[in-house]
Amino acid sequence: MKQQNIRNFSIIAHIDHGKSTLADRILEATGAISEREKKDQLLDSMDLERERGITIKLNAVRLNYHYNNEDYLLHLIDTPGHVDFTYEVSRSLAACEGALLVVDAAQGIEAQTLANLYQALDNNLTIIPVINKIDLPNADIPKVTKELVDTVGFDEKDILLVSAKTGVGIKELLEAIIERIPAPKGNINDKLQSLIFDSYFDSYRGIVTLLRVVNGKVKIGDKIKMMATNATYEVTELGYHNPHEIKVNELSAGEVGYLCASIKSIEDVKVGDTITLEDNPCIKPLEGYKPMKPMVFCGLYPIESSKFPDLREALEKLKLNDASLEFEPETSQALGFGFRCGFLGLLHMEIIEERIEREFNIDLIATSPSVVYEVLLTDKSMILVDSPSKLPDRQRIEEIREPYIKTNIFVPSEYIGPIMELCQNKRGNYISMEYIDASRVNIHYEIPLSEIVYDFFDKLKSYTKGYASFDYELVGYKPSNLVKMDILLNGEIVDALSIIVHKDFAYPRGKAIVENLRKLIPRQQFEVPIQAVIGTKAIARADIKAMRKNVLAKCYGGDVSRKRKLLEKQKEGKKRMKMVGSVEVPQEAFLSVLSMEEE
Amino acid sequence: MITAAYIHIPFCEDICTYCDFCKYYYNKKFILPYLEALDKEIKKRYHEEVLKSIYVGGGTPSSLSLDELRILLKILSIFKINDTEYTFECNIENITEEKVKLLKEYGVNRLSIGVQTFNEKFLSYLNRKHTKDLVYNKIAMIKKYFDNINIDLIYAIPNETLEDLKEDLDNFLKLDIDHISTYSLIIEEHTILGNKKTMPVDEELDYQMYQLIINKLKDYEHYELSNFGKKRSRHNLVYWNNEEYYGFGLGASGYEGNTRYTNTRSLTEYLNGHYRIYEEQLYLNTTIENYFILGLRKIKGINKRDFKKRYNIDIDKIDIINNLIKQDKLKLDNDNLYINPKYLYVSNDILVEFMGVDYERYIC
Repeated sequence: MKQQNIRNFSIIAHIDHGKSTLADRILEATGAISEREKKDQLLDSMDLERERGITIKLNAVRLNYHYNNEDYLLHLIDTPGHVDFTYEVSRSLAACEGALLVVDAAQGIEAQTLANLYQALDNNLTIIPVINKIDLPNADIPKVTKELVDTVGFDEKDILLVSAKTGVGIKELLEAIIERIPAPKGNINDKLQSLIFDSYFDSYRGIVTLLRVVNGKVKIGDKIKMMATNATYEVTELGYHNPHEIKVNELSAGEVGYLCASIKSIEDVKVGDTITLEDNPCIKPLEGYKPMKPMVFCGLYPIESSKFPDLREALEKLKLNDASLEFEPETSQALGFGFRCGFLGLLHMEIIEERIEREFNIDLIATSPSVVYEVLLTDKSMILVDSPSKLPDRQRIEEIREPYIKTNIFVPSEYIGPIMELCQNKRGNYISMEYIDASRVNIHYEIPLSEIVYDFFDKLKSYTKGYASFDYELVGYKPSNLVKMDILLNGEIVDALSIIVHKDFAYPRGKAIVENLRKLIPRQQFEVPIQAVIGTKAIARADIKAMRKNVLAKCYGGDVSRKRKLLEKQKEGKKRMKMVGSVEVPQEAFLSVLSMEEE
Repeated sequence: MITAAYIHIPFCEDICTYCDFCKYYYNKKFILPYLEALDKEIKKRYHEEVLKSIYVGGGTPSSLSLDELRILLKILSIFKINDTEYTFECNIENITEEKVKLLKEYGVNRLSIGVQTFNEKFLSYLNRKHTKDLVYNKIAMIKKYFDNINIDLIYAIPNETLEDLKEDLDNFLKLDIDHISTYSLIIEEHTILGNKKTMPVDEELDYQMYQLIINKLKDYEHYELSNFGKKRSRHNLVYWNNEEYYGFGLGASGYEGNTRYTNTRSLTEYLNGHYRIYEEQLYLNTTIENYFILGLRKIKGINKRDFKKRYNIDIDKIDIINNLIKQDKLKLDNDNLYINPKYLYVSNDILVEFMGVDYERYIC
């Protein structure tokens, strides 16, 4: 295929704005999938993705399109839509020359749309603005058009109107892709330079990398080198997805495809890294690679301690597909053996937890998530702390710094008041506010990330009746007056319940946690006090009453089977509990520090 | 060796609001066919063992007319007896002097009477049709013929106070009867109370009521969770000692060999001679579990030597038991393993620990 006839593009959109449906429609229009193969959202291959309606892992598909008597190759590179995966988005955008910016005709531009758009512009992509869902009864095309013109600066005549659901405008869209997006510029005769924008694990072939060849070409049998890790391999298989795998003998400049080289270690394959040839390497790697750093940490423990090796295996398997997942063993006095795991964000964390429980059938206890703190010690050295239990003694601490983020909160202007109130309550500093149109604003605050991790999303939803959309970027570390708060059950510290909290907020939060635990922990055979403690000072207390329940029912005709059923049910309930000292604590209790109403 | 039999008479004149046992409204035209079918079942399955205990329960066995009762008792006279405890359940409303005499004539020697409460407000809540005075009159009449009597009492009825319960217990004590079973009202699904989504009393109150009962009945031996007696009920001990017994009649359960079974609750099926609806061959581990679940209902618990004799296991080798002893939930003395009286009230929570244990590996 001539390089001039290749177009590489991706789709950027806010969740629910119809990205996956649009991708499916494009696949159909180019004949990539038959009627029979159609299922909703073909590119989202994980069950979890389809269920949650989000794309977690990227996919890349090659499509053929005939236009103006020429055959064209289109590579559609799908991107995840969530803020947790911003880096992955940026790398897949870097593999393209253009992007479709999809906006819902009823909803308009959202926080994520803009965040991803700016990334696309940073990568010098040609943007095609698309208003989708024009078939909706409440579609307001003039309003959304105005938003795109005023906020982003598009030319009104460049905006395409599409309904992915009915198929209206798809043909025009494909033509616009060919007409407007430039062909790849790379030189096939240069030294090999190709960008890894994703990878996944296949049990037969090892790590499969998805890549975009920027310059040069790669053939089966070539010795390749990963420039960031210096790992070398021999290429065993090359191909592309249509969406099924099609093997080829070489991939050359401009093309997108997959590469296998019997790679067993995910550590060797970093998203954003450059692959070149070992014996004829390019001079410098492609720009933009950076190692991904987890932002949110939590402890994961099996409820049944005997499942610890299974949990390790599960995490190792997940890591094969997900380089950004980090874990190391940790021991909790309360929970036994488990792992401290690092995630890109909250959604990423939830997804991993759910996959472990579903795909590996391990019941988990997750401790409340923590961010990474910088702790300056009195000897002027600096340590990073990702778990309350790792916080050094107070006497040794000079200063604690916590990560701050800057928000983009898109919200109808009548909610400005509530949003400001919420952000103040979350220790936010007001920065600025912009009007997107007459009725919507983008509000910028600086807020500690730990507050976002806490219950910000839920609160945002309830403060704005779900009308707000939210995105953030990290802005750096700032000193804060933070303390460690311990929770005592029956007089003993439960390390897994400790949190780091701002001193001014410690009292209400301690009170709320203690109260919440009182409700979540069932009555025990004796009275159990729950206390929230800072240092040696107790700041809140509640008591769990002793269990009184018993069933002194008539054992009818000696019918023991009924009694057995009752006991079996009770036993099943116990399985979801963890013995902490002499107290049985249900799974949910360990996250109770998150989900609560403060007074 | 089977030494006991339970016979179920499923007919009632009124349905109690809490009852989830197998019961039908009393209807003359079903009684004789039912008794005939019962006769057939007994003749087919009874192997002429000498029975140490016979228990006729319900339903309301005393709802049968005098003639029907005679037919029933004749059917039951097939059982070989020798110093047998022969119990018959009756309700205050329909037990008459003629019926009492007839029972006595056929060898019944123990009556279990469903009084439930003396409080008329709660009687009507439970849909019982007797009055307090009637209880006194009937008991006085019965005592002319029987000295071995049990009374069933229900407590923890919604809105019942400690004061109400105290009055009930005082009323019971005035009757000077040797045995009482007290049951906390359980609101089961598919009962009238259950359908009304009735809420049980507060746990704390339930607990205080149980303590009150134990205190008020100090002159009786508290020999099982819910039973107090100057003389123990032999029949209930069959259950709690995990011994075998026949179950005859609609909805009855039995335990023979290593099989536990339950009869159908469908009258039509039963009349057609289809008795069993459920049968389970017990694994040894399940049998031992049952032994603990039932045996630890007894205040004195389980006899170590009996356990060793039955299963060839030393009870103090079992890890879970040692753990529970360490936690002070179980007590082990020279003879017996029993629940620490302090934790009797939460015995379910302790019994749960006995489920799913591999006992066979402890066999000597």
